Amino acid sequence: MNVRFLLVPILLPIVAGVLALLFRNRQGKACAWFCTAVTATQLAITASFFGQEWNLILPWGAFGWQFALKLTPFSNFILLAAAVFGFLICLYSAAFMNGKRFLNQYYGYFLFTLGLVNGAVLADNLIVLLFFWESLLLTLFGMIVIGHPGAFKTAVKACIISGVADLCLLVGIGMTIYLAGTMTISQIHLPVGGLNSVAFIFLMIGAMAKAGAMPFHSWIPDAAVDAPLPFMALLPGALDKLLGIYFLTRISLDIFVLTPLSWLSPLLMIIGSITILLAVMMALIQKDYKRLLSFHAISQVGYMILGIGTAVPVGIVGGLFHMINNVIYKSGLFLTGGAVEKQAGATDLAKLGGLGTRMPVTFLCFIILAASISGVPPFNGFFSKELVYDGALEAGRTWHVGWTFYAAALLGSFFTAASFLKLGHAAFLGKPNTDPAKVREAPMTMLIPMIIITALCILFGVWNALPLERLIQPILGEHRLEGHTFAGWPASMTLVILTVVVLVGAFLNHLWGAKRSGSGLGAADHIHYAPGLHPLYDRAERRLFDPYEIGLKITNGIARIAWGIDRGIDYLYDTAAVKITYALTNGIRKAHTGSLFAYLSWSLAGLILIIALILGGI
Amino acid sequence: MPALLILIPLLAILALNLPWKSLMNRLAFWVGLALCLVQTGLALQPQSRFWHSPSLWLGNLLLFEPSVDHLSLVMFLAIGIVGAVTLFVCRYSTACAGNRFMVINVLILALTGMNGVVLANDLFSLYVFLEITAVASYILIAFEKGRDAFEGAFKYLILSAVATVMILAALALLMLTAGDLSFAAIQAAIASSPHSRVVLAAIALLMVGLFIKGGLVPFHGWLPDAYSAAPAAASVLLAGIVTKTTGIYTLIRLVTSVIGYNDTLQTLLLFVGAASMLIGALAALGQSDFKRMLAYSSISQVGYMVLGLGAGTVLGMVGAIFHLFNHAIFKSLLFVNAAAVEQQSGTRDMNRMGGLAEKMPVTGWTSVVAFLSTAGIPPLAGFWSKLIIIVALWEAGYTTYAALAVLASLLTLAYFLSMQRRVFFGKLAAGFESLKEGNLWILVPACVLALITIGIGVGIPWLFETFMLPIRSLL
Repeated sequence: MNVRFLLVPILLPIVAGVLALLFRNRQGKACAWFCTAVTATQLAITASFFGQEWNLILPWGAFGWQFALKLTPFSNFILLAAAVFGFLICLYSAAFMNGKRFLNQYYGYFLFTLGLVNGAVLADNLIVLLFFWESLLLTLFGMIVIGHPGAFKTAVKACIISGVADLCLLVGIGMTIYLAGTMTISQIHLPVGGLNSVAFIFLMIGAMAKAGAMPFHSWIPDAAVDAPLPFMALLPGALDKLLGIYFLTRISLDIFVLTPLSWLSPLLMIIGSITILLAVMMALIQKDYKRLLSFHAISQVGYMILGIGTAVPVGIVGGLFHMINNVIYKSGLFLTGGAVEKQAGATDLAKLGGLGTRMPVTFLCFIILAASISGVPPFNGFFSKELVYDGALEAGRTWHVGWTFYAAALLGSFFTAASFLKLGHAAFLGKPNTDPAKVREAPMTMLIPMIIITALCILFGVWNALPLERLIQPILGEHRLEGHTFAGWPASMTLVILTVVVLVGAFLNHLWGAKRSGSGLGAADHIHYAPGLHPLYDRAERRLFDPYEIGLKITNGIARIAWGIDRGIDYLYDTAAVKITYALTNGIRKAHTGSLFAYLSWSLAGLILIIALILGGI
Repeated sequence: MPALLILIPLLAILALNLPWKSLMNRLAFWVGLALCLVQTGLALQPQSRFWHSPSLWLGNLLLFEPSVDHLSLVMFLAIGIVGAVTLFVCRYSTACAGNRFMVINVLILALTGMNGVVLANDLFSLYVFLEITAVASYILIAFEKGRDAFEGAFKYLILSAVATVMILAALALLMLTAGDLSFAAIQAAIASSPHSRVVLAAIALLMVGLFIKGGLVPFHGWLPDAYSAAPAAASVLLAGIVTKTTGIYTLIRLVTSVIGYNDTLQTLLLFVGAASMLIGALAALGQSDFKRMLAYSSISQVGYMVLGLGAGTVLGMVGAIFHLFNHAIFKSLLFVNAAAVEQQSGTRDMNRMGGLAEKMPVTGWTSVVAFLSTAGIPPLAGFWSKLIIIVALWEAGYTTYAALAVLASLLTLAYFLSMQRRVFFGKLAAGFESLKEGNLWILVPACVLALITIGIGVGIPWLFETFMLPIRSLL
């Protein structure tokens, strides 16, 4: 195949997106099928790329910039994953979005997003990468804002948070280009340390914010409520993770060479651990299906960052494996949320309940997906988490309290399991709160993506050699792996036993909590209202810890000061200067009385002064 | 044969007063216009034989051999244009044919005087022509015989008389030293004894006399009354060209060709220029009489010219002369507009007006061109001359004065914006519902002047090379 085919995954969705925008709103169905066809084609094309390694360089703009694309096993993997989920979610949207407003815009932005993500992943030039990366802000804004009339505020929030992070990325890219002396990504290999570390941190902020790690996460729970649900499955659920973790891996593995001994490695691990714990603690107390999932979308990123941050092969493989697993089960979980929303008409857990019998397929999918995310063997999440645990322990050996990373990750698992037990219990079991006769199983086009995704969960768990050996281990290359393979059953039986103990603990905790409060929804209340935690939760729910809100307050403060300064300057110009001028004017007017005598005396005085000046001066 | 510029107007006055009264009444305007236009046309052709051939029999009637350089040509051009505009305004505003005939006679006399001032190359001739111009001006101001007109003319008369005394005294002192009053002789005398107290006193007296004529602060007391009380045509002539010829041109000519620069003189010029510029602008800000405001604005603009002259460099002088010419155009235009407004609305009180541009669009919009040019907004003519003056000041090291010049520009913009707002823009004031635009006699000169202002501004690269830079030969 011609190398120029590399442009197809970028151009096809973008051109198709423009066409999608041309559809009328009442042609929603046609638009949906058109887009599904495009994403299916896209999937076929990217699948056909598999196993190739291509380089495409086109001249671009001035200054000798090059439009360079590079197809590597890694970018191929991300491309393929993006195409799979793009297709599945598009198929799902056909039924879910049916009858909603702004359909043409939804599908247009959907396709733009796919094309831009592909562009960013394929880019082999930092400027090209930045171009595609930053363009995603537009579709992000567009997709949230079409959610409902009140979504504008959330869209702005998402755009500002991502914009700040992208600004850091811009700075990082500028520094990297300066330090490396080239823009071609595949030619950059900088050791960490000194200024290089600063550049790394800026790039890391960009990557982590895209993946949704703390403290750049706070738009995601808001978007979960405001944006159309498939958007959540597509962006925060799948593509953002793929792109963010892809770039984080690239900067840790080859753009910079991160070693376990540099201070950047524990920094990443600390960020990862904090993200895991704080986000999952927030997830535990949520009372809304989508909002609860959205906090998990944040929490799971922590595992990936923790894994990659270890800078040891097992951790990185675990992190990447967790990335793809997370994309699978998290988008799947969002899709079940969408099915519930569409069929039961609500996502507030207090209004749900007993759906399990009415929507058995959805429930079954939910159980498997939830088990995967909680790390129950033999589903995929279990294996990737075990790898991350392994990595955290191996990297942690260097330090005195290195085991805390493992402990944090394990504790995260406990809360993850607890919150999904609560979610499943509240939504699918218990007494039905809605008229059960009205609730039916979701339509086929929504079920098929969910079933496929659930099947992937089982497949990647039971046959984990397929993703690990075919997709992920080639990314690291033989020189890093040194003949190791991470497929199969976890190496350390102790860790597996500890995991199982924690999961059983979570189950017992749930039973106790549910019995204590009398409902599945209240199963986590004893943690929520525990002394010490309660006030913190209270403040977090009031968004007192939201960096965006804090930033807004600081900005408002600065704005107020600037306003004061502006008023001062205005006063100087508009009032003080005018007053002084008019005071002078009035003085001069009063002096001009019209008296000839006065004018003559001025003239004579002037004459005397001038004579004095000229005679005296020379 | 440049002497003809004095003699032919003089003969024209004589001819017009021949006893075919009714014919002459009708002819007077056209004769005057022809004189002005021929002068303008000649001034635009510096290579013409007219300027360089020696005087023939008629020219020998003069007692001196006039000399002409680029500065004189610029002045002739300005005099020609403003003279023609004045004739139009006179035609427009003076209804009675008999009165108009007399005004035109005096007008031609004033033109004769100004041409003489420009041509003179000895101090005594200069003095004589200054007096001719001044006398013609008194008559023009007082022509309509109102109380204000007499007051204005009287103030002008008295202060001009003071100036005359000073100039005459200076002449006497210089005569004592040099024995001759030709520019060359005096220049030699000053050069040979630069510290003589007699010469210095003479220079001081001469300066003050010219400052009074030019209306510079603090010798400007007569100017606002004279300008605002004068009939429309007279104020156009006075503001546009008379004070600039008798005060500023003479100052430039004497400083550059006779007295020469020195530090004290520069300090004096800069200080007086800056004071005029600022006080004139501040005073203009407080006026509610349209013409009085324009009068103070004239003081301020004259300040710029003297400031440019005070920079003591070629560029400064070029800027001063350029600004003099531009001022002649845009200030005449503003007075033309003021005349139209006064004639159509019957008032000069800006507080009573408002929204007149709705009824008098041409007047309103040519006024915008004129005031933007005065305030120095690119690309109009006034911007370039002010820019040249400010750049010259900056280059000569007078940064404070350059800054003051910019500041005064802001004040200029302030009072003109306030004028435009009060008179032409906004809602139509009560009582002006039946207001009409003036007739062609006033609209044609307004449009021509506006076009000149725009044309100079746009054509500056060419003009600067061909008209402005040759002036440098003066230094």
